[in-house]
Amino acid sequence: MIIVQIILVPIIALVMGLLFMGLFRKMMARIQWRYGPPITQPLIDIIRMFSQKTVTHGFMFEAGLVLSLAGSIVVALFLPMGNITVFETGGLLVVLYLMLLGPLGIALSSGESGNPNSSIGISRKFLLALGYEVPMLLVLLAVMTHYNTISLAEIVRIQAYRGWSFGSFPLLLSGIAYFLILPAILGIRPFEIAGAAQEISSGPKAEYGGKFMAFSTLQHGLQEFIGLSLFVNLFLGGGDLFGLFGMYANTFLGNLLAIVVLLIKMLLVFAVGVCINAAFPRFRIEQALNYLWTWPSLFAFAGIVVIMITG
Amino acid sequence: MDRNQLVKWIKAPAKMGHKYSLHVVYFCTGCGIIEIPPSITARWDAERFGVIPVATPRQANLFLITGYVSTKTLKAIIRTYEQMPEPKYTVGFGSCPINGGMYWDSYNTIKKLDKYIPIDGWIAGCMPRPEAVFVAVTHLWTLIDKEMADGYKRYREKYDYYRANQEKVFGEMEWPPLYGKE
Amino acid sequence: MTLELLLIVAFGGAFLTYFLGKISGKLRNGFAVLNSLAVLVMTSFFYGMNIEKPVAFGFFDITFVLRMNMVSWFFAITIVGIGFLSIIYSLRYMQNKEKLDYYYFTTLFINASMLGTVLCGDLLSFFIFWEMMSWSTYLLISYRGNDRAVFAGIKYIIMSIIGSMVMLVGIISLYVNFGTLEITELATLIQLAPLGYTLFILILFSISFAVINAFWPFHTWLPDAHAEAVSPFSSILSAVLVRKGMYGLYLFMYMILGLDLLNKLRFGVISFNGVFCWIGAITIVFAALTALLQSDSKRILAWSTVGQGGYMILGVAFSTALGVAGGTFHILNHCIYIGLLFFVAGAIEYSTGGIRDLDSLGGLIKKMPVTFIGAIIGVSGLIGLPLTCGFVSKWMIYKTLILNGSPLLAFFAFLGTWGTILYGYKFIHNIFLGQLPEEHENVKEVPFSMQLPIIILSVLVILFGVLPGIPLKVVNVMDTYMGFESLNINLAGVVSETGALDTINIFMVILVVFVIVGLLFKAGRKSRKTDQYDNYAAGAAIPKGRYNYTVNFYNPLSTIIEKYLKDVVDAFYMKLTGFVTNVGDGIRKLYTGYVGNYIMYIVVFLAFLILIQLRWSVF
Repeated sequence: MIIVQIILVPIIALVMGLLFMGLFRKMMARIQWRYGPPITQPLIDIIRMFSQKTVTHGFMFEAGLVLSLAGSIVVALFLPMGNITVFETGGLLVVLYLMLLGPLGIALSSGESGNPNSSIGISRKFLLALGYEVPMLLVLLAVMTHYNTISLAEIVRIQAYRGWSFGSFPLLLSGIAYFLILPAILGIRPFEIAGAAQEISSGPKAEYGGKFMAFSTLQHGLQEFIGLSLFVNLFLGGGDLFGLFGMYANTFLGNLLAIVVLLIKMLLVFAVGVCINAAFPRFRIEQALNYLWTWPSLFAFAGIVVIMITG
Repeated sequence: MDRNQLVKWIKAPAKMGHKYSLHVVYFCTGCGIIEIPPSITARWDAERFGVIPVATPRQANLFLITGYVSTKTLKAIIRTYEQMPEPKYTVGFGSCPINGGMYWDSYNTIKKLDKYIPIDGWIAGCMPRPEAVFVAVTHLWTLIDKEMADGYKRYREKYDYYRANQEKVFGEMEWPPLYGKE
Repeated sequence: MTLELLLIVAFGGAFLTYFLGKISGKLRNGFAVLNSLAVLVMTSFFYGMNIEKPVAFGFFDITFVLRMNMVSWFFAITIVGIGFLSIIYSLRYMQNKEKLDYYYFTTLFINASMLGTVLCGDLLSFFIFWEMMSWSTYLLISYRGNDRAVFAGIKYIIMSIIGSMVMLVGIISLYVNFGTLEITELATLIQLAPLGYTLFILILFSISFAVINAFWPFHTWLPDAHAEAVSPFSSILSAVLVRKGMYGLYLFMYMILGLDLLNKLRFGVISFNGVFCWIGAITIVFAALTALLQSDSKRILAWSTVGQGGYMILGVAFSTALGVAGGTFHILNHCIYIGLLFFVAGAIEYSTGGIRDLDSLGGLIKKMPVTFIGAIIGVSGLIGLPLTCGFVSKWMIYKTLILNGSPLLAFFAFLGTWGTILYGYKFIHNIFLGQLPEEHENVKEVPFSMQLPIIILSVLVILFGVLPGIPLKVVNVMDTYMGFESLNINLAGVVSETGALDTINIFMVILVVFVIVGLLFKAGRKSRKTDQYDNYAAGAAIPKGRYNYTVNFYNPLSTIIEKYLKDVVDAFYMKLTGFVTNVGDGIRKLYTGYVGNYIMYIVVFLAFLILIQLRWSVF
């Protein structure tokens, strides 16, 4: 049973990641009054890229990319998908630290490529991460303190009978803060700083060709999936739809419905994100840090103070 | 457009992938580049064919030589072409890469681009309209289907010929031969 | 196998090394290695023993007490382990330097005196060994003899002596009030003392330990000392020497005062533990953010040492079983990976002929692969990636902070991790990744005797990360000594109802997924290898030697936070020093050397005394 879960969950994550990227391009095209590519376009791109023969810059170039994709798949195995959490050891702290493997792998791999555009891209990526981690950590700590647990599966379970975190009074401020920094976590405009195509010739991806680009695209899709999944699980109740499907609690149909509800919620949040992406230009990194350390941090700090006061 | 025919995808995924995901190197080689931005914006949407410009040649598989090629640009074109991963396709856009075009008697431009890098197809015109880009793309699909878009293979097999022509223009080349004797 | 024999071998070996060096260099080197190996083996014999042994000193009727329990063993094994690896490392590193007898003697002497401090059962011998450790450290910090080294050494010794004098005041006060200096007796006697007196003593001793452990605001000596000391000694300095402060805090807070007394030391909402927790939190963030702005490889690691010390005091001062275990385990982890990173920085210095400036290096991964692997594993441990030992100790500290209602402290600790990621990546990128400059084309990998400590420590980082039960067993025993309940430990981590940690699970998952993705990767078409000059530069030729991004690596962040990160404490200390120097200069002007002035001073003072006698008839 667990083998089936170990195989299915990453596949669902990868497919949904590609779907998000395809939906992104289609929705952007429609907003811009054109037809746009089909939703399966990222899959076509990956098939094409995988069949190309390109150059490599050394062992770390390849190993870093493999580490990055492996790290992201491992995170997908640790996140709750509906009622299933394949591995639960260590809770949210392990998930937070495993989420470092993805960017770190890309950083090592593109640093080895010897292109200063990649180095600049990585330095900006880490700076952006430092920027959004300040409010994000305050939000996550507020959630963990409020529910008094470090286990992500536990938080999802509690929301099933207590109601979504976003609607509960002490966590509303934290939820707003998390929503304000969500574009930075997903890497969409206005925070599309690391992979900026025009300014630093696509940053870390500058020297990626062929199968490297395929893996990088897969990892990017997976990264978006992880970011959205974390938000939905923490604040929008995970796979629960106001307890409507409680009668199917432990059956196969119940688990399936939970996964479907989770994916639909992620799609809705992502759609809002695409609209934000269509409306904004790209920030510079100083502007991004300035923004991330003022309003979202203020909300998150207020949230954590409220939680500490109300116990 | 046979993008939805699943059987063909299963039989030859690489070929179908190359057809419907032509990423263009965003290198404006000459005056013809003025016709490319309209073709990727909302009016003549190229993205529905899967054609989109990318930042670096390492990520691309289509090279549009738009407009005339001066000798200074030729060096950059050759470097960019050699940095692209294989399989890759080139399309000469405008009359200048075909036979020199408007600058047929200039001392500084290349008259026959095919001697220096392999070209898979040409579009005549000074400048061709954006619809011509789509004609090029669909014609390239037919060529890929029939396995006739083999410019990169010709480059590898007849590399000495191309390298000799390049050296005749530039003298000492700053980079070593791409396909060595080993 | 007695404790005195251990100390005699340690100290005797130091002196014997010096004299053997007069005979032959090779003999001295071999003897130094054998001596440190012997001390290592002998210390490992004492595992699990509980000895308390008075040793009569002879005069003043003073008895010293030597003792060994699990806490002492834990610190002792780190001291002798890193000492041994450092001696092996310095065989080749110091080969062409001068004053080698002096160097080996001082290193072995420092190791021996550190060993002495942890083996003491009474405060007087503790103080003696502590002082020996202090001044011998000064000798080795200013080893190079140039102006900056001597400046760094003097800065260190002044701060350390101030701390030691404060400790001496505490010791004298304890002796006067209780009549004994033995730790076990003091532990019972001090329970009866008034709370204010206990707080006073604790603060005195804590100042001295905080200076050695380099907490904010006593951290200012550490960056200079590390930047100027020789690399094998830098690893000893940051791995074990600064942690003597933590040993001292253990001694005082838990073994003498005990948990109940410690919990009584509160004044409203401010408690002694709380103050130390916040000092730790401030240290973590301040050091992590300052390290970002540095561009000297050893200064980055020095600030990293300062920051990680904050984690330890945060865990230990939080006074829960998991917190103390996490803080203690972090001491061991930090010792391993910061030793590793200093060995790596030293290897780079050795290969490139003394370059520490991160702005001018790059691309050394092609020439020094073993060093690169050591650096990557060391930085991963520093960040706390899963599968490295640093992750387990940090997980324990975070869990206890969150579940016991201090989310703000946890926030500072987490923020320290992100600062660490930034400067860790800068360290790796500027040295190993990027383009190789032409002047470093002939750099070779370091010789095997320098690679060996790097390899051993890397293996230890991964081993303790995947199987943390091995060191956690020792840490658990230490926990029970200090009055906490024992944790439920198995080989793979911590088991508890509120969220367990199973590192073998994580390791297997990562390994399997990595292998599968790797196989998928190999299934693609084989890529062609190119050199670093075949790179994207918009169709132009690569400008050789200038196509590397190292200077001002985090420029946007530096411009924002630089004005907030001015080291005001350092500026304050320097101003204070300047003021004292000026006052001293002024007083010195009294000594004019002219006898006539001295006679005038005598006459004026006599006139002043006569005036007082006439007016008030004091005498």
